[in-house]
Order: sequence, then structure tokens, then C-alpha cells
Amino acid sequence: MNTTQKRRIPLLLQMALVIFGTYFGFILVFDVLLGQLIPKSLLTMYMVFVVSGVLMVYTFTEEGTRELTAPIKALVEDPSKRNIRNVVFVIVPLLAGYYTYSSMLPSFDPPTELRTIHPAPPNKFKAYGKSFDLTKLENPYRKFEKEDPAKFKEHVREGGDVYIKNCQYCHGDKLDGKGPYAPGLNPTPLNFQDVGTIAQLQESFLFWRIATGGPGLPDEAAPWISSMPIWENFITEDETWKVILFLYDYTGRRPRTWEHE
Amino acid sequence: MNNLRLGKKMTYKNKLALLALCSALFAAGTAMAKPGNADKGKEVYDKRCTWCHGAEGDGAGAAQDYLNPPPRDFTSGNYKIKTSSFEDMTPNDDDIFRMIRDGMPGTAMPGWSDLLSEQEMWDLAAYLKSFAGFDKPPEKQVDYGTQVKSSAESIEKGKKLFEDGDRCVECHGKSGKGSASKRLKGGGGERTWPRNLTKPWTFIGSSDPKDIYTRISTGIAGTEMPSFADPKSKNVLSVEERWHVANYVESLAKTGMTVNAENTVIKADKVEGELPATTDDKRWNESVPTAFYLVPQIIGEERYFKPSNDTIIVRAMYNDKMVALLMEWDDRTKSIPGDESAEKIADEPIAEDGVAVQLPVVIPTEMRKPYFGMGDESHPVNIWHWKSGTKSEPEAANLLNSLGFKAIEKRDAAAVGLKTVSSYSDGTWKVLMYRPLTTQAADKDIQFAEGKFIPVAFAAWDGSNNSEKGSKHTMTTWYWLLLKPATGSRPLVAALAIMVLFAGGLLWWARSAGRAAGRQH
Repeated sequence: MNTTQKRRIPLLLQMALVIFGTYFGFILVFDVLLGQLIPKSLLTMYMVFVVSGVLMVYTFTEEGTRELTAPIKALVEDPSKRNIRNVVFVIVPLLAGYYTYSSMLPSFDPPTELRTIHPAPPNKFKAYGKSFDLTKLENPYRKFEKEDPAKFKEHVREGGDVYIKNCQYCHGDKLDGKGPYAPGLNPTPLNFQDVGTIAQLQESFLFWRIATGGPGLPDEAAPWISSMPIWENFITEDETWKVILFLYDYTGRRPRTWEHE
Repeated sequence: MNNLRLGKKMTYKNKLALLALCSALFAAGTAMAKPGNADKGKEVYDKRCTWCHGAEGDGAGAAQDYLNPPPRDFTSGNYKIKTSSFEDMTPNDDDIFRMIRDGMPGTAMPGWSDLLSEQEMWDLAAYLKSFAGFDKPPEKQVDYGTQVKSSAESIEKGKKLFEDGDRCVECHGKSGKGSASKRLKGGGGERTWPRNLTKPWTFIGSSDPKDIYTRISTGIAGTEMPSFADPKSKNVLSVEERWHVANYVESLAKTGMTVNAENTVIKADKVEGELPATTDDKRWNESVPTAFYLVPQIIGEERYFKPSNDTIIVRAMYNDKMVALLMEWDDRTKSIPGDESAEKIADEPIAEDGVAVQLPVVIPTEMRKPYFGMGDESHPVNIWHWKSGTKSEPEAANLLNSLGFKAIEKRDAAAVGLKTVSSYSDGTWKVLMYRPLTTQAADKDIQFAEGKFIPVAFAAWDGSNNSEKGSKHTMTTWYWLLLKPATGSRPLVAALAIMVLFAGGLLWWARSAGRAAGRQH
């Protein structure tokens, strides 16, 4: 061995560092920085790939394999390392036993529910006793934004009244999804201030979501747990369009339109 | 009690914000409030506040009739949460600023610090004062004397003062849950309920002892909560006594009963022999309580906007024949239609109190569950519905099968062995429901099985608060019920076997390596 190799971190330690580094990296990025818990099963799957990949790289040459396993072999075969060996031989079976015990205890974690938050909309849907074509549907009041700003403002105002009487309980006074009853709901109410919600959607999509509510969702969006009421039962078609104007106006977001795409 | 926004996080944030503010003010070394510009405040007000508080500041915004407590009428000059003396209506600018910044837990008023700048909030405070014509700062402030730190001794003294001569008990009840003997009205004539002092997350002016002291000292304007610093009151308390009462009130918080959002599973322990026959059986103390938020029913006609309760606590046990669920929830009134004392304090007409458990008829094996609002066409639910009874009819357990709220079939509860036991005491209902694990009709009744995650949901009715319509109730979304299987010795046996295997393998490896090394020498 030459001097440069001597200063290198031993291969076995290197491998352990890479594997644990990746593991904690995932946790750091998802759980801590992004605040989105990474599902355990997904993490396990990733780690299987990572570990097998790392193993393949490190055992690619015979020399590498030998260097990798050398410390382990030495531990077992080298009489001078007897004390460490005895300690390892106690710890390893204990760890294996503990792992077996804890993995065989019945799990009390409920099944996870994965659902699509913004499912693909249908082309056509029924509400207010008629059929709507989502590919052509537009907010009839949007045009006043340019044509008659005073009238537009009035419609926004009317939409705000509809919102505060009907929607704020869950979506909040500030449209941030933190209304008084939000903590009691799962899935939690959408935050309209967030760039990832209404700013990514067309007004027609909102119209569909509001008019048909939770039960109008397709199966991949788990309609059976959504607390969104079927609003065609409570507010008129006009009011629905006006409340949509209000959502965009209050948050300062713009709806997506066909023209921009 | 419109707001569930809460608890620990909020208080912590409040404290942090308060701390930051206090230190900032200390550093500045000047008067508390920053001068606000009322004209600029009007601009903010017209965009953000009119929806509830109305363009004229009179609380007549669009949301007026849907909130309890109703939006504040600023023209009345009643400021509930203030630190100026009870003799002076005028609040400090700082009091108004704080309510805007932090919001009011237990109401629909959110904190605005994430959307408004500090200056905008001071501007708003200046504008709000103009509605009642407050143009001078208050002349007298609350006298805090020297704070008495909470201790067992102080709490004991506070308890005596709380109960003495019905001082606080008259409205808040002995337990502090507000199981009142009195009808209370707000400044606008609206029905108000005494604060449930065991739920600190609903204290609109925070549950810090200093804030509680302030409320006791100033009273709460526009409600029947009087000032206990007023020497004219027969119930007057000294500064020190008020600190004792504040410490006692703080100690009433049932923190073990607060909702933990992570905890979505009711775990039923398996017991040998008979299940508890009463709601107060000591064995219930060993069962882990799971608390859930109740939200008012606002998804179907008729909607319920002003609930009087926000949580329900559930415990469960089972044996080899039956399952038992114990529901516990706070209700200030025992609502028995026809009962004079119940009708005296309620808004007529009163209806029965009630609680319901909803379970799927078929335990789902995949994600698909019945619609959480009483099931759907292809996914029926069982509903176990207990009603408190009227003066002429006893309390009863009802069994319903439902395919949505328009398709409900009434069934014979006794025939499937559904039984209930109830008790009411000082603001708390407890209802125990039993059913055999299995029944004759597997197509109509849920068949319980160990170790399965069973969706479960709850609903509660307060007959003295707008519940004459069945749809006016509070409810939960789906949670889980798990009949915890007895663990047995399998994990331990398996763990021991694995340990022996590993130890053996390692020894064999070491020995054969040693032999190989011996041969080499």
C-alpha cells in the first residue's frame, strides 16, 4: 500500500458513511426541511436500492471486496482482537433479537391513506340540473375585470359575502385553510394563499370542485373522507362564480387559462 | 365556541410573540403603543374586516348570524379583552393590537400577523377606537400588585374563593365546565355560555394566569361576567385573592384530555371476564382515552353554525363476547324535554341530548370506506344512537342502518344486543355502549374482529343548543377503532430463537476461522 491509500478512510467505514449519510439525508430533506414526512415503506424501498447499489460499487473489483471484508475477517480471525470480538458477538445477537421482537409486536399505526389532491377533472359533469363541458367552461364574470371594473368589484364583494357565510369555517378568514374547524377535519381544508392551489388551476376546475363537492371527486381522491359539501345544494351557480372571483382577488392569485398554456 | 384553533402551539407562539414584543418595547423604553394612522387603518379594515365586523364597525357583517360569539360591535365600546381598569371602558391601544395580532382562540377571529405588518395593525387599532369615539387613553389600569406564583397552597385558597358563596360556581359550575344553573345573555341579547374552564384552548384572552387575573379583575364587557375588583360587588376579591383564583382556574385545565392530532386510533384492550357495567367503573381509568375534535354539521341541510362543544373522548374495551365503547363529552346542560329545571336555562324548545357511533357494516379491506356523512349508496354504515330521553320517555339506544342521510333504516337495537348505560354529572355526559362482537346478520351488522383497523366516527347533540333538528349536531370525520389482540409470547420466543441462531452462527464462524488459522501455523 502506498501513502495516499493509507490516509484514506477505510472502505468499510466509507460504505457505512455513504449509507447512513443517504438515510439521514432523506430524513433531513423531507421530514425536517420540507416538513413532508417521507413514508416509512418508501424510505425502506429507497434504502434497499441505495444499499445494493453501494455494495455493487464497493465489491466491483476483487481487491475492493478484500479490502472491504478485511476488518471483519480480522475481527474474527485475529487473536489480538479477542476482546472486541467478544463484545461484538454479544451485541450482534442482542440487536438481532431486539429487531425481531419489535418487528413482531403488532403495529398500532393505522393504514396510510394516499389521495390525489387535484385529480384530473372529467370533461363533462352535471350540476344545477344541467351538464357542463369543462373544456369550454369560463367564468361569466371574469370579463368585467377589464370591461367594467366597478361592476367587477361589486361581484367580488358579493363573492366575499358568500365566502364568509359559507366557507370561512374551514378555509379561514384569511383563506389560508386554517378556519376555526380546520383542525377537526382530515383531509385538511385547502390553503388558497398557497401557490400550489388555486394559482395552478382554472376557474372551471374550481367551479367543478365547489359545485359537486367532496362526493363529486373521482375515486383516486378519496371522496368518502372529503368534508367539502356539495355546494350546488346551498349556493346558486352565480354565487359559485362570484365566490371564485373573490378567492383570486383576495389572495392576489391569477387563475390559469387556456391562453397561457 | 367557534374555534378549535389551538392549544399548545398557539400559546407557545403567543408567548414568543409577546416576549418579542415586550423586549422590543422595553428596549424602546417609551409608551406601550405606537401611534396608528386611523385613515390608513380604514383601508385595511375595508379589505379585511368588514366581512364579519361590518362596514360601519357595528358587527353587522355578512357572517353576523353564523358565529358564536358574534363578531364584535366596535360602536358599543365593549372590549372584552382589555387591561384598563373595570371603571374605564376605554381599552389600551395595546389591548386592541394584541387581539388583532394574536386572534382570539375559541372564536372565528384569527391572528393577522402573517398577513398584516405591525404598522398596519397599529393603524387598525387607531381606526377601531374611532368607532366608539375613544380619543383618550384610559385613566386607570388593572392593579396587578405582586403576582402570586401558582402553588398547591395558592390553588387551594383559590378553590375556596371560587366556590365560596357560589362566587364563580353559579355560572362556571363546581367542575368549572360551565354546567350552569342560569341563562346568560350577551350585550346584543344573544345567548351566551359560561366559559368551560377545563378547556384552556377556548380562552379568548389566553389561559396564562396573568390573563386570567385580568379577566377576573376587569370582568368581560358585554357579557354577564362581572369585575371582582369592584368594591361595590358583594363578591369583591383583593389583589392577592384574585391571583389565587387565577391560579386555581389555570389548574382546572384537563390537559390529558386535549386532542393529539397524531392519535387517530382508539385502542380497545382485551379483558378477561365481564366488561365494566358502569361509566364510572375503575377499570376505565386503565383504558387510554383518545380525544377527537367535534365539528358542527355544515355539509347537509340543515346546517349547524353555533355549536356548544368541540371535543369528545373515547375509551374502549372488549372481551371474547362483547365490545364496549365509553364516550365522554362536555355539555353544560342536561337536556330533558319536559323537565322544568332543564327548560328554565335552555332556549325553548329543547330536544334530547345524544351521542352516536358510526361504523361501516363491512370492515374495509382496502382504502375505500363509506362516505363519512352516514355512508353512501354502495357502502352502508351502522349507527348506534343514544338519546337522553324526555320526561315521559326513558333514554334509549337506537340502531340505524344508513346508505346516506336520505336512506335510513331503523332497526331493533335489542335484537342485536346493543345496550347503553349513561350518566350525567356537573357538565359531563358519559355514555357506555355495548354490542356482541358478532351478530346473526352479517350483511346488516358490523362483525368485529381482533387486530383490524375499523373506521369509526362520532356525533353529539346538545338539545339545549339549537338541536331541535336532528341534523344540528357536532361530528367527527373517520378515525380508527382497533381491538388490540393480546400479544402473547410469540415475539419473545422468536426473538430468543433469532438470538441463539445468531450467537451460534458467530461462534461457529469464529471457531472455524480459528481452526483454519491453526492449520496455517
